[in-house]
Amino acid sequence: MDLGYLIAAIMPYVAVAFFVFGLGYKIIFWSKAPVNLHWELFPYPHTVSEQLKEMLTEVFTLRSLYLFNRKFWLPSLMMHYGIYLVVTWLVVLLLGFPFAPYLGMLGGVLALAGSFSLLLLRLFIDEVRKISVPVEYFNLIFIFLLALSSLFTGFLADFQVRFYLLSLFTLKPALSIVANYHVPLLLLELFLIYVPFTRMAHFAVKFFTYHKIKWGELH
Amino acid sequence: MSAAVPQKVFDDYRVLPDEVLKPGQPRVEKFLQAMRKSLQQKENWTFWLPYILSLDTCMKCGTCAEVCPVYQATGRREIYHPVFRADMLRKIYKRYFTLPGRLFPWLVGAEDLTEEKLDALAESVYRCTICRRCSYVCPVAIDNGVIVREARKILDEIGIAPGELKEKGTRLQLKVGNATGMPTAAFLDMVEFLEDEIEETRGYRIKIPVDKEGAEYLLMHNAGDYLAFAETVMGAAEVMHAAGVDWTLNSPNTGINDAVNYGVFYSDVEFSAVIKAHVETARKLGIKKLVVGECGHAFEALKYLILRLIPPEERPFEVISILELEDRWLREGRLKVDPQKNPEPVTFHDSCKLGRLGGMFEEPRRILKACCPDFREMTPNREMSLCCGGGSGFAIMEKGGFLKFRMETYGRLKAEQLKATGAKVVACACSNCKAQFREIINYHKLPMRYAGVSELLANALVR
Ligand code: SF4
Ligand code: SF4
Repeated sequence: MDLGYLIAAIMPYVAVAFFVFGLGYKIIFWSKAPVNLHWELFPYPHTVSEQLKEMLTEVFTLRSLYLFNRKFWLPSLMMHYGIYLVVTWLVVLLLGFPFAPYLGMLGGVLALAGSFSLLLLRLFIDEVRKISVPVEYFNLIFIFLLALSSLFTGFLADFQVRFYLLSLFTLKPALSIVANYHVPLLLLELFLIYVPFTRMAHFAVKFFTYHKIKWGELH
Repeated sequence: MSAAVPQKVFDDYRVLPDEVLKPGQPRVEKFLQAMRKSLQQKENWTFWLPYILSLDTCMKCGTCAEVCPVYQATGRREIYHPVFRADMLRKIYKRYFTLPGRLFPWLVGAEDLTEEKLDALAESVYRCTICRRCSYVCPVAIDNGVIVREARKILDEIGIAPGELKEKGTRLQLKVGNATGMPTAAFLDMVEFLEDEIEETRGYRIKIPVDKEGAEYLLMHNAGDYLAFAETVMGAAEVMHAAGVDWTLNSPNTGINDAVNYGVFYSDVEFSAVIKAHVETARKLGIKKLVVGECGHAFEALKYLILRLIPPEERPFEVISILELEDRWLREGRLKVDPQKNPEPVTFHDSCKLGRLGGMFEEPRRILKACCPDFREMTPNREMSLCCGGGSGFAIMEKGGFLKFRMETYGRLKAEQLKATGAKVVACACSNCKAQFREIINYHKLPMRYAGVSELLANALVR
């Protein structure tokens, strides 16, 4: 079996399975955890709409960083928006919107710039470097390389990728479409496999740390 | 012996003396066993989820450090970085209890535990008051405070806990009813003395009921208040009297007569033993409402931490803070005050346990605004209030030069804040805070005094 076939025809399923089941397993594991003693921090939003508002504000503006750790805010915002846009790219691409490649490229550029500047901050700000261990750099470099190769090879800019993705659903992957994209594809697959087992799953963890702990379930 | 300065193990202070820390003796194995237990859901359900998520998900962004009083006050010293402290435990966690840490320790920052590292960890977890200011601002809501508390729990399991919190704290309280060691006879004398004092200052005598069964309100203070902050105890008595309610204090004769629960700071075992004793006392007396005096962590314990520990049917009484009552009675017009009796400018300190951890922001403000004409906010305040440095047991810990640590870190920031208000009185509603303020005012030579909220209210009462 050649490597290209592995990357384009087999790994996509494996990666998605890892991502879904890995993350699903963790989420179920956490939600089955015994309910801890009340440990809220006041004030906190009580109604669903207040909570939603606060969560979305945090997700889309990274307010904590903005208010308390400004130098990390813009780089972090860029990287997060990069990731949000790439996820959106995937959705609109599947839906067949012709502007999808623009979203994808913008997302790629933001993720690239964000991860690179975060890497620099981590390397050059003394006190942050001191609390960092190699895996922190590894994660950032991973995202950087993923973004770089996706942009460089034109993966994010190619509308044809849509037909490859659709073909995955029919279990007859259109391999020729992605013949030039093996590197970004492989990195993406490895990324999906990797995420659930690292702190990059913090988007899921936040649900618990906010809803179950910081905001509690008192009211 | 006592003159010998204990050997340095972490920084210039040694809050755990050699008898407690036992440096040089092998403790690593026991520590790892206790830690393994702490990581099991069943063994440690009380805080398992926040503990595990906090160990696993810190993004190392450093936002916590920007708001940590200790880190800021020490000129950003590395060893006082909240993540540096949490990592002392996290490295052990990774090394012994996670697969990546066992396979690639260098990659994830896993490290072997040594006796020396254990010494340093034990001291280090007593440099953070678990004020949770960092956790309030953490983008992922990671709780460095819970990590510190879990480390204290593990250490206690292997016999390392400050004597102030254990032998002279929870153990003493469970034995004699209060952590001050005051027997019933002395307590009753004290109450009589307070009645005399009130008569002397106010010109009228009130009866302070003790051990009255079936009373509507059982008022339980931090017993240390009778000795150190009697004005608060007297103030609360005057308020209860003025409100004309059916109330009582209780003596050690009835069980526990001290609202404190130092278990909150270092041990769930001790915590639940004490809180069960509280509940039993209240039940035996058959009271309807347990009123927590001016004590922050006692309020947190009896109001919130109790809820999932003791089923509702086993605690047939309501728990309420004295501040809530005072605020309510003022608004109902049940208490009449003349604010001109407190002419000095007054500011208010939000205790972490009452405010950020207890949600009691508006009640004390309404009380103070009603009975002090010149009320001034301190900044920052409310949920961003800076811990005074008395929290998590620090207020009663002085060994190994620790008072200096309290004064030069938290204390210095607080002193600057206090000065900026220009107030002559700092009001607060927590015993530990008061004990810390007593020292801050003295150490930093501030031209002001501290006062309990109840004390100021009582002073403004009109009959
Ligand atoms: S703010 Fe939170 S995520 Fe960031 S370093 Fe501190 S504890 Fe970790
Ligand atoms: S809990 Fe308070 S003292 Fe401890 S690390 Fe956080 S901010 Fe600092």
